Amino acid sequence: MKKREERLVMGKGQYADDLEFAGMAHLVFVGSPYAHALIRSINTDKAMTLPGVVRVITGQDMVQHTHPLPVQANFKKPGWTWRLANVHAMPHDKVRWYGEPVAAVVAEDEETARRAADLVEIVYDPLPATGNALEALTPESPRVYDDWEDNKQVHLKFDFGDPDKAFEMADQTLRVTYREGRVHGLPIEPRGCVAVYDGKNDALDIWGSFQTPFLARHNIAATMGMPEAKVKISAVDIGGAFGLKIHTWKENVVALASKLTGRPVKWMEPHRDFMATGPHQRDVFWEGDIAFKNDGTLLGLKAQVVHDLGVESTNKGIAALSIFPACSAPASMYKWIGMHIEGIGAVTNKSFYCAYRGYGKDKGLKFIESAINQVAKKLGMTPEAIRFKNFIQPDEFPFHQINNYVIDSGDYPATLNKAMEMVDMDGFRKKKADLEKQGRCLGIGVSTTIEPAGVAVPNCQMGGITQARVMITPDGSVEVHSDRTEIGQGAEISHATIAGNILGMDLAHIHVKKVTSDYIGQGPLSSRGAVYPASAVAKAAKLLRKKVVQCAAGLLMVEQSDVDMADGFVFSTKKPETRLSYRELADKVFFFPGPRGLDPEILKNHDHLLDVTATWYSPTTPDTGSSYTTFCVSADIAVVEVDVDTGVTDIVKYVHVHDAGTIINRQVIDGQIHGGIIQGIGEALYESLDYDDQSRLLSTSFSNYFIPTSIEAPDIEIAHLETPSPFSETGSKGMGEAPIIGSKAVILDAVEDALSGFGIRVNDSPASPEKVRQWILETQRKTKGED
Amino acid sequence: MKIPLNLTINGDTVELTVDANETLLHVLRNSASLQSVHRSCEEGECGACTVLVNNEPVNSCLVLAVSVQGASVMTAEGLVRNNEPHPIMKAFTDELGIQCGFCTPGMLMTAYALINRCEGSELTDEFIRKSLQGNLCRCTGYVNIVKAVKKAKQNKDAGYWW
Amino acid sequence: MKNFIGSRSLPDMIYHAPESIEKLFLLLSDAARPFRIVAGCTDFIPAVRTGRWSFDEEVTIIDLKQIKALNYIEHQGGMVHIGACTRLTQILESPEIQEKAPVLARAVTTMGSWQVRNTATIGGNICMSSPAGDTIPALLVLDARVTLAGPDGEEEMLLKEFLTGPGQNTMEDNQVMTRISFPAMEKNETACFKKIGNRTAVIISIVSTAVRITLEHGVCRNVKIAMGSVAPTPIRINRAEAFLEGKRLDQEVIHRCGALVSEEISPITDLRASGDYRRDVAATLVKRAIAECMEEKE
Repeated sequence: MKKREERLVMGKGQYADDLEFAGMAHLVFVGSPYAHALIRSINTDKAMTLPGVVRVITGQDMVQHTHPLPVQANFKKPGWTWRLANVHAMPHDKVRWYGEPVAAVVAEDEETARRAADLVEIVYDPLPATGNALEALTPESPRVYDDWEDNKQVHLKFDFGDPDKAFEMADQTLRVTYREGRVHGLPIEPRGCVAVYDGKNDALDIWGSFQTPFLARHNIAATMGMPEAKVKISAVDIGGAFGLKIHTWKENVVALASKLTGRPVKWMEPHRDFMATGPHQRDVFWEGDIAFKNDGTLLGLKAQVVHDLGVESTNKGIAALSIFPACSAPASMYKWIGMHIEGIGAVTNKSFYCAYRGYGKDKGLKFIESAINQVAKKLGMTPEAIRFKNFIQPDEFPFHQINNYVIDSGDYPATLNKAMEMVDMDGFRKKKADLEKQGRCLGIGVSTTIEPAGVAVPNCQMGGITQARVMITPDGSVEVHSDRTEIGQGAEISHATIAGNILGMDLAHIHVKKVTSDYIGQGPLSSRGAVYPASAVAKAAKLLRKKVVQCAAGLLMVEQSDVDMADGFVFSTKKPETRLSYRELADKVFFFPGPRGLDPEILKNHDHLLDVTATWYSPTTPDTGSSYTTFCVSADIAVVEVDVDTGVTDIVKYVHVHDAGTIINRQVIDGQIHGGIIQGIGEALYESLDYDDQSRLLSTSFSNYFIPTSIEAPDIEIAHLETPSPFSETGSKGMGEAPIIGSKAVILDAVEDALSGFGIRVNDSPASPEKVRQWILETQRKTKGED
Repeated sequence: MKIPLNLTINGDTVELTVDANETLLHVLRNSASLQSVHRSCEEGECGACTVLVNNEPVNSCLVLAVSVQGASVMTAEGLVRNNEPHPIMKAFTDELGIQCGFCTPGMLMTAYALINRCEGSELTDEFIRKSLQGNLCRCTGYVNIVKAVKKAKQNKDAGYWW
Repeated sequence: MKNFIGSRSLPDMIYHAPESIEKLFLLLSDAARPFRIVAGCTDFIPAVRTGRWSFDEEVTIIDLKQIKALNYIEHQGGMVHIGACTRLTQILESPEIQEKAPVLARAVTTMGSWQVRNTATIGGNICMSSPAGDTIPALLVLDARVTLAGPDGEEEMLLKEFLTGPGQNTMEDNQVMTRISFPAMEKNETACFKKIGNRTAVIISIVSTAVRITLEHGVCRNVKIAMGSVAPTPIRINRAEAFLEGKRLDQEVIHRCGALVSEEISPITDLRASGDYRRDVAATLVKRAIAECMEEKE
């Protein structure tokens, strides 16, 4: 029973672009053609003369009518740097990245608005721009924010365990560098919304592609200077999000446009706008030393990671926040003595930076996987051997990792073993040796990862808030509310399955409602769907079940302990024919309980109100500070062949073993795995946001930002382990990010293995054909030089 | 310049008046209210707006509506019969060849044309993948989509089709 | 500098779709300016959306798609003729092309998506005159000629003389391309098209090549090598062709031919690739294409 999916395949989706309101006007943004420039003047006269143009909104309007964007994450600590910029949703004085909106045209129809956008005359004084984090941190770099003394937004320093001891104990250390290029998560649907300001009630309703409506309401209300109670955000069908539709920013301009024009205003972002104005992700430079013993025992890490955050201005700390998990995650699933990690975030004249599947933890995990594989090579070990040597063992859970993560459960050796069973490792290694003689380059990559899921961090909007409501309506069907928007990750079917299993109800009668800002929660991000909202739904359903049992026992005149429910009926286990359908039960409980009504005890406890709202919070976070609650496990093995003469990588085989705890819906999980893996492959081999020398983005469409098509996507073999999490309500673990992390790591490792004959270190992504070929030629040149 | 436009859309003859500069995508969404035709890149790269024109898949964002005067146009809405999902749609839900659903209607139209062309012949994974390369999907990794197309082909071979 | 706008509106248009060449010329003679001749619109619409092409006033669009006389594939007297408005899908599926010019069919399979091939035309691909236009290298090795028609009559010229630069050709505003013609390939000939891009599917070439050889007892005759994306227009690689002429193919010969290709071209650096990489893989691509021709004949 896939109600939502059936609706969508039949073409009945209602996405942001499908929204229509009477009297609706359309908004189109005018962006900056410079990456860094002073705005000398904006003249809207010509645009306003075009018939159909209603209004042009500029940065001056934002200053006049709205508040600066609110702070979303703020960490002050002695010895740390944490800077925030004071900006509005559109600037009035200075543009800081290519495509940054400087004006918005509102017109009767979108075509007119687009046409008028070309007529808005803006005079700029171009400024030198900086487009690289390492350069931005040098004293001679142009400054992105005039009131900052340099471009360093963030500098965090962490000591986990005893890093000095780790290095004292070490037989060897190894220097490892690792670079990830800038990417775009790029759902096929860009962002869009319709804002409807109601002047009579001074209230604002916004419908659109909101991944986190509750947070959106908070931020838009703050910007608009309205009480949150007067603002409602409703998510419609969302055409993919992956984190990119969390932050509201341009939406503030749409809201203001509605208020200023008194019209419903629709904004549907053109795809090029979405590409250019972000959010973008990755773009990090790692450098560090890993300490280990000669027998392969891992001991410690001292490393620094520099993030190219782009501008800070739009999400007020949330980009910077991702440096926390980047620094913490390297501990991963292995045992360590200690780590010292510093995370630096530099601002540059590039679009802002935010969440995309992995958020920050992905960076630490990929770096450590790559580093461990280097250690294995140095010691002449296989990548699997070094992992088996250092894994946390199945009997050690819950495991207090040095980074404060309380890791819930798992069987790491079994996960990797399973993957190795699915790939004929010895066979492929022999084949690699054989092909090498013919000048062909086969590579086998191995990667294992955990997925820290369900983020809860203090001092930011990712604090771990969630609320769910499960109720039985008088017609005997179930209504489920939560903060978990459906972004294609199976939220609706998962929630329905959880509630259905607990209440013994057929999925056909469970209605998972679209998410609005009415329910508290930070939405589906950081794989928290199966942790926080799912736990809250399960908790509410369990409490509701108790109410049902009490009411049913009274109505059926049986003992509560004898009441059970299945297939839409509530019955006595002793006499199954003594039963009520949920429809009969609800009808009685709500309206017609019988001649004497319900038992007074039930009424005193309100148990006849078949409606439960529950909140949920991690059982481990409060005492330990573990910023995640569940840790799903995965192992990836990939076999690739690299065409040495062109640099093209072909994926020969791909296997993935996954342990997401108790499986709620296997098809959904498999789908998440497939999608994540292909996105990771895209990052590893094809995807790159490229800029010109003035920091203007060149990759602004699908024709020059290469996401994998059906041709590039390989077949994927999946196997599951099922080690329940003791910490979530259902035993399931948050999932969906491990696949993008593991696949990128494993493909790059496989490419490196394929190029082992050349001794090439693959520490830059994407490993595009040109880059791979460059590495080969450089190596050949060096070898020739040495000869 | 307003131009009368006659089309057969999902089997119904319609007479519309359009501007010369309107794309077929715009006309289908705005004049014919067929919202399964999704708009994303508007430059013929993503395939979300794929419809069939005279049984061939095209990117409706790259077609001037007036240029297909008299043509037969088919969208996902046209595959639905008596409010029942078409067997190819059923295959996509059965195999979960859908996540966010945004690329799905376009993908379905390409796949539907593909299956109809392969009447009586086998449909290999490779050929399915080649045929769908103009329909970008960011969610599914295409794995379940390929499965769904094969399932749909089986549906057709078993006589479950319209 | 122009504003950054994610997607621009299409200009106001006057639309004409003449059904015959005669009507087309009548239109051309008194069409309001500016006007654009289009066939598939697959290039026109993106060019407007991105602002590469802009029109301050109403533009007259003359759509050739309804001219049936421009949509055909025929084989006559040893020549293959293709109407300029023949869609790429038709070329791909044409038994005549598969038999008489498989190299062209091969090139077309690598072009765009099924959807785009259903709309885009061969004439459109040639008239856009992109250095990366994939039909062109194939047509260059086929010694294709193009026919342009205008108010002053028809002229036929070699394709390589038609192309003058990136996006540039000899066609006058009031001319249209009507036909592409080339001699059918002989049985003893073999040809191959290869390209490399940043991805396999739906990709603009970083480098493309078409090679055509007649192998007489293992000796190369009538060698033709063309490449795309290595010069302002797709070009023939004359010195490499001359080098192969009369030679017996072996690894060494193929290798030296590849080296000559690298020497002969001067590709530019753009977003898709650097000039160095283009030069480098150009040699590989040509070598592979020659080797494939050789294998095919063995």
